[in-house]
This record gives sequence, C-alpha cells and structure tokens, in this order.
Amino acid sequence: MTNHLAEKIRFEVPSLEYKEHTFGNGLRLVMSRQGNIPMVAVNTTFHIGSKDEEEHMTGLAHLFEHLMFEGSPNIPKGKFDEILNQNGGESNAYTSWDSTSYFVALPANHLEVGLWLDSDRIAGFGISKESLEIQKDVVLEEKLLYVDNSPYGTVEEESSRRLFKNSGYKWPIIGNMDDLRKVTLDDIENFFERYYKPNNAVISIVGDIDYDKTLSLVEKYYGAIKPGKDFERRKFYEENIMTEIREDIYDNIQLEGKFIFYRLPEMGTADYYAMNILNGILSEGDSSRFYQELEYKNELVIESDTNLYGMEQTSLFCISAIAMKGKSIEEIETRIDSILEDIKNGNIDENEITKVKNKVETYYNSRRQSIISLADKFSFFKTFYNDCEKINFEIIDYLQVAKNDIIESANKYLNKNQRVVLNYFPKKQHNGE
Amino acid sequence: MENNKINVIEQAQTLDRSVPPGSGKPRDVNFPKFFETRSDNGITVLVIEDKRLPLITSRFVFKSGSYMDYFAGENKYGLASMTSELLTKGTSGRSATKIAEETDFLGATISSGCDYDATYVSSYSLKKYFDNIFEIVTDVILDPKFEEEEISRLREQRLNSLLSMTDDGDYLSEKVFKKSVYENNPYAFPVEGNKASIKNLNREDITEFYRRIFNPENLIVAFVGDITPEEAMNKINEKFSGWKNNPELETKPLIPAHKEKTKVYLTEKKGAVQSSIKTGHIGISRGNPDFIPVNVMNTMLGGYFTSRINKNLREVNGYTYGARSVFYSNKFSGDFSVMTEVKNNITADTVKEILKEINDIRNDLVSEDELQNVKNYISGSFPLQLETPNAIASKVINLKLYDLEEDYYNTYIQRVNRLSMGEIRDAAVKYLHPEKLVISIAGNVKEIEDDMKVFGEVEIVKDIF
Repeated sequence: MTNHLAEKIRFEVPSLEYKEHTFGNGLRLVMSRQGNIPMVAVNTTFHIGSKDEEEHMTGLAHLFEHLMFEGSPNIPKGKFDEILNQNGGESNAYTSWDSTSYFVALPANHLEVGLWLDSDRIAGFGISKESLEIQKDVVLEEKLLYVDNSPYGTVEEESSRRLFKNSGYKWPIIGNMDDLRKVTLDDIENFFERYYKPNNAVISIVGDIDYDKTLSLVEKYYGAIKPGKDFERRKFYEENIMTEIREDIYDNIQLEGKFIFYRLPEMGTADYYAMNILNGILSEGDSSRFYQELEYKNELVIESDTNLYGMEQTSLFCISAIAMKGKSIEEIETRIDSILEDIKNGNIDENEITKVKNKVETYYNSRRQSIISLADKFSFFKTFYNDCEKINFEIIDYLQVAKNDIIESANKYLNKNQRVVLNYFPKKQHNGE
Repeated sequence: MENNKINVIEQAQTLDRSVPPGSGKPRDVNFPKFFETRSDNGITVLVIEDKRLPLITSRFVFKSGSYMDYFAGENKYGLASMTSELLTKGTSGRSATKIAEETDFLGATISSGCDYDATYVSSYSLKKYFDNIFEIVTDVILDPKFEEEEISRLREQRLNSLLSMTDDGDYLSEKVFKKSVYENNPYAFPVEGNKASIKNLNREDITEFYRRIFNPENLIVAFVGDITPEEAMNKINEKFSGWKNNPELETKPLIPAHKEKTKVYLTEKKGAVQSSIKTGHIGISRGNPDFIPVNVMNTMLGGYFTSRINKNLREVNGYTYGARSVFYSNKFSGDFSVMTEVKNNITADTVKEILKEINDIRNDLVSEDELQNVKNYISGSFPLQLETPNAIASKVINLKLYDLEEDYYNTYIQRVNRLSMGEIRDAAVKYLHPEKLVISIAGNVKEIEDDMKVFGEVEIVKDIF
C-alpha cells in the first residue's frame, strides 16, 4: 500500500470518504457524505444480470428493471414515481450482463421516503398480471426502437451468439422476444424470490447525509427483510475460439460497417487493465491511432472506435468502423490489422502510454461531481469486488500498466483466429420495390 | 453494531410500511454567486470559482450561431457549424494533429461547436495544465487557418454523416418537422446543413463568417473551477487585449407564422417497423415572459416520467418505450413538439391520444394535487442542476446569452411555486394549438398513409435533403 500511496500522491487524486455496514440479513450498505448540494442518491444493485438467466427464459433481468416500478405491497401501481416526484425526486434503472441497478435521487430531507419506496418493493411481491402484460409491450417497443429500427442495431445480438456458445453471455441483455412473450406471473415471482433478496443486494447512499441517522434508517426499512436461499451462480465455461468467425449481415443502412470482437479475461485482472490502456491508445482523442490512421490521414471512415466491455466472468474488446461511401470495409480491416500488428510488435511510444494515464488522472478527478454516478460506482465495487477501497485505488491498477504488459496482452488476445468479424452491408434493393 | 439481529426483530414488529414516512426540514438552496466583468475591448468575463477539485473549464461563447447562416448568403446552411469545427483543425503555428497531440497529452479536451444561437469553444483540464491548454485554446480562437485540405476533409465527412443520419427515423421526422413548422425562417434549416449547402460552402464563406462573428464584443468567456477572478482576468488581458472588433454580420429577428390548419407529412424510412412521430407547432422564444408557466404546463403534459402523455402512451397503453413533449426555445422563436416511436399499426391511435392530452390540458383545469406534484418535483430536483460548476456555468451563460433578469435563477423556484391552476390553463390555451399542428412521421408510408387522413391533408415528403 505504501507504494500505492506514493504513486497516488504523484498523481494528486483526492480520496473519497465512505463508511460500510453489513446487516444480519446479508444486505451490504455503503454511505458517502458529499454535502455539495442538499440532495441524496440511493443506488440499490442486485447481483443478477442477463447472463444469470435460464436459457429459454431470457430477458427476465431486464424486464424486472421495468416491473420494479410497477407496484409493491404498500405502493399501488403507478404510485412509485408519483410519490417520488411529489417529494422532489426522480428514479431510473439499468440492466447489464451481470447486475441490475436502481436509483432514486431526491432532496436529502426526504431520504426516508426514498428508502420506504425502495425497500417496499424488496420486502414483498406486488406485481400484477396487468402490469406484467403492459411492461412486456413496453419492452417489445424498446427492442424495436433500439434494435430492429435502429441502424447497426443488431450488432450486440449478432456478435454475442457467435462469441459465446454455453454461457448466458450468448443472448442479448434485453433477451429473446419469443421468451419474453411466454413469461408468466409465476415465473416473475420465482425470479423475485430467488434474486431480489437483501443477501443479493448492495445499497449505496451518497449525498448530504448523516452517517448514523442513515444507518439506522436503512436498518429500519431493510433490516427485517428476510434473506433468500443461497444459490449457485452458473460457472462460466466457454471453449476458446480457435478459428475466425466471419459473417455478412444486411441492414437498413447507407454506409457499410465493420465490427470486430475479441474475448478478454474478466474485469479486475491485470490483463484487463493493460487492455484498457491500449484501448485509450487506439481510440481516445483525435491523436489516437484509429482517428489518425482511419479517419484523418486515409479518410476511410466517418467514425471508428474501440471499446472494452468489462464483465464479471469474461470481457470483450470491440472495434467498430463505419465506412465512408465507396470505401471498402476490407481495406479498413487491413488498416485496423496493421495498427494491431504494430502494437503487437512492440511499436508503442512511451508518450502514448503517459497520455492515456494523464487522461485517467483527469477522469479520476472529475468522477466525484455527480452523486448519482458515485453511488453507482460504490455499488459496483462492492458487488463485484467486495472492496469499496477500489474507488480510491483502482487508479493504481491503470497507472502501473507498463509497455510490456500492453504488448503481451495484445499478443495474447488480439489474434485473428480468436475473433468474430461482422460485415454490415446495405440491404439489396429489389426490383419493383 | 455487533447485535444487528436483535434490532432487526424489534424493527419487524414495529414498522408499519403502509404509512409513508414524514420528512425533515429542507436545506435552503441559493443560486451560487459568480463574478462578472467586461474587458476593455468588450469581452464579458464570468468566473464561477470552485476550489474543491483541481479542475478548470474555460468556455468561450460567441453570441451568434446557425441562425446567422441564413444571412450569410444563398444556401449557406451549415456554415456556423463547419466554421466552429474547423477551429481546432489547424492554426498558423499548429497543425490539426499537433493540436490533438498536445491536448490529449495533457489529459485534457478541447471541443467546439454551435447551436442556433451561439458558437462555442471549451477546454477542460486539470489546473496544473491550465496554462498550457489555455494557450492552445487561445490559438485556435485567434489564429485559425481554415486550410483548404481541412475544409474538404470535413466536407466529405459531413456529407457522409448526413447520408448516414437518414437511416434514423427520429432524425428524418425531426428535420421534416422543423422545415414544415418554420418554413422559410432561419430556424427551419438544420444546424449541420444539407447536402446541397455543404457542397456550396467554400473557404471564403468560412473566413468571412469567422471575421464577422468572432469578435470581442460578441464574446462571453466563462471560467469555471479552481481559478480566481484575478487569475482569469490576467489570462484574458494577456491573450485578448489586442483583439479588435470587426463590423458584426447584419441580422434581424424573423418571426415565423402558425399553420392555418393541421397537416400531415409522411417520410419513407426504409424497412421501418416503427413510426417516428414528431408533432407540434410554433412555440415561444427564450425571452417570452410566459416562459416559466409554459414550461411548467409542459412538464405536466409531457415533460417528465409521470406526465400525462408518458403515462397514457407507456404506462396505460404500452404503445411505446417513452413519449415526451418539449418547448424548444431559441432567441427569436421556438417550437413545441410531442415525440414518440410506436409500431406502424398503432400510429394513428397514438396521434389521437396525443391530441386528447393536448385538448384536455387546454379545456380542463389541472387538479391542485397534480400542480403541487409538479411544483415539488421541479423545486426538489432543481439542485441536481446545480451539482457541478459546469452546470452552473451553463445557467450563468444563459442569463447573458438571452438577456434574462439578473435574479432569474434566484427567483425561479418562487415563481414556479406561485403559479395557479388558472395560469396553467391560460398557458395551455394561449400556447397549444391542436388545430394547427404539423404531424411529421417517418416510417412505412404505405402502411400508415390511409389512417393518417383523419387528421388533415397528407403530404408525402419526397426529398428533404
């Protein structure tokens, strides 16, 4: 830790203060006092995501994100947000492969109302058949909006089912719509009984709070909720991809697109951080390799990007490029491959690494400005690492990445035979249409 | 905290969940103080000091945006936007790549762009690198080169982006909506330009536009973060004191007219499985004295999750993932619109429900509870808009850009809370016109055309770009 501290001082990142508590029913609480504005954010994260679903009953984790606002034993349908708004608050939620997070943000003097609302939906099951049917329709529209009616909208589902063969990462987070249509209220209640329990949750409260009062309020509203039975999380098992998988896909688009995916180790590993720095070198800012090579010098693309998606049991490295009209996506792929080969051959300037680390430092200083995102971060670190101290020290994991780590990771993971390549083409025009 | 379990059992017996808890005393919220002055050559300088984090943002806001495109010559749309983007693409002393490399190396960002009413350049960096980044920002503002090579690169990029955006139903319905509502007004034309106008722009247009718009008297600079007013003024004097004003591009407020009656515009989006609906009409300018009542009324109609329109279309009918309404206000005019995306076969039903909600809020007084709810929501969540120094800066810049009263944000919550049910209905009657709508829909024209005829004359939009 002493080394870490020395490193941290060099980079001048101030520590965030917080306190933790674990209740008898297994619920874990994180509190952080940030008195900037008289507001408080409450984030409740359940360690259940789309990859934990059963095959043939996919989409439940995300459907819950909708249903949890639809009524609980003491709060009738439609009242959750209404009561919250009456108290000057707002809410939202999101679902990932690995967890589902809910938050409310409201004036600090109404914290107890927020906890009452949030806890009632875990204390008992209160979702009606009517709510279920309406929210299925809403999710079907959500899927049409973001997938079917959206250009390149099918990339997630087309890549996932080729990247994974066994694990729950092979279906999209929103699920398969055929599964969703069949879901019954019994399925919903079983899922609730299994996963929506205090021992599977982390609650993070950030804002203008008093630690002792907040602890006793959380105890009052959540402390008596019975824990659920322990369950076994499915083990991740996937064979390595040994031969490149390529697919041509026809979509309602004007410009051709190239999407390349590589599997990586799960988030938190040393290789994961090394790949994060590489991700910055490749696509962060207009001086990055992708911007310079693909967009600026050769004018091949209207946009290009690389992204690293951290996951609990694996991770993904994704490359995307949308071609300028008339440019060949095969030429784009060749250019991308030569950028990657260059990295694998060790051609990285130390300045490129420092640059990305400087960006990380700026980011670490910016992150404490929003109570909603801080609460989310605390829940994230507690859920996946059981270690909130990472909020202050994860920066070290990034900063200690050395040039060799990047080169080794690139050689280990960014190989042609281990990847999935999707080529997106405009749908052919049929005569008479 | 060792004997949690004992506490838990006691709590279980005493807690009555059916009773909503009370609330403590609210803490007062005041709009933060800021420093304001004017330089000798007319630059408005604002400082929002906040020492809690070692970060500084500088925001340069020129009080002219795409509205000016209209006055710059025949078919020059996209000019303000292209000019602002080209600023960071090279100066006499730095190439585009050098600007990017220097900025990125400092872990900083410089961005530039525009909307209808303003053109901006911003920097964001750690305090320790501020001198360096300010030097670069100053360079791109005072000495941009606008090289032909950079112009043609950006032109090609823009033409391809415009092409790609036609894949997006919401983009299509939005563009047709603006064009149909504003007709020949400057606000009718897209900030990003269109295919013909982008091809029509040349280097002379850009340098002339730059010369006429980028002037000290036309500039607001806001410094935000770990910087004192004295440090800020020193920076301005050091870099900008010799900067002279040029004659401003001549412009005038042009006020668009309402449609005589409702009309439907349908645009084909290839392979659409949903209709992107955008319907509305002329709205209000930012300086309209009824701005606050109109926006509170709109919040109830479609401005937040529990609004009437979202409740109806999403929570009761399950027609859509989300629906909202907005009064979008610019300096000289604005528009009102309701937006949503629904399956092809319920497009007409959805428009009917939107019309019903617009009519209801005009015809019937809202209930006291509903009004109180929205007041609580707006005043309760207002501090979230003051959470970061940059969010505060946006508000302070708005005060200057739109000539709002000095105490606008200090009295905002009081003015919201004073509104009566009658004033809400008055705002609805005066500013909502369900008989003069533009109904713009991008989707599968064949499937929806017949159903839409009940609302008015239907025009199939062939070529909008």
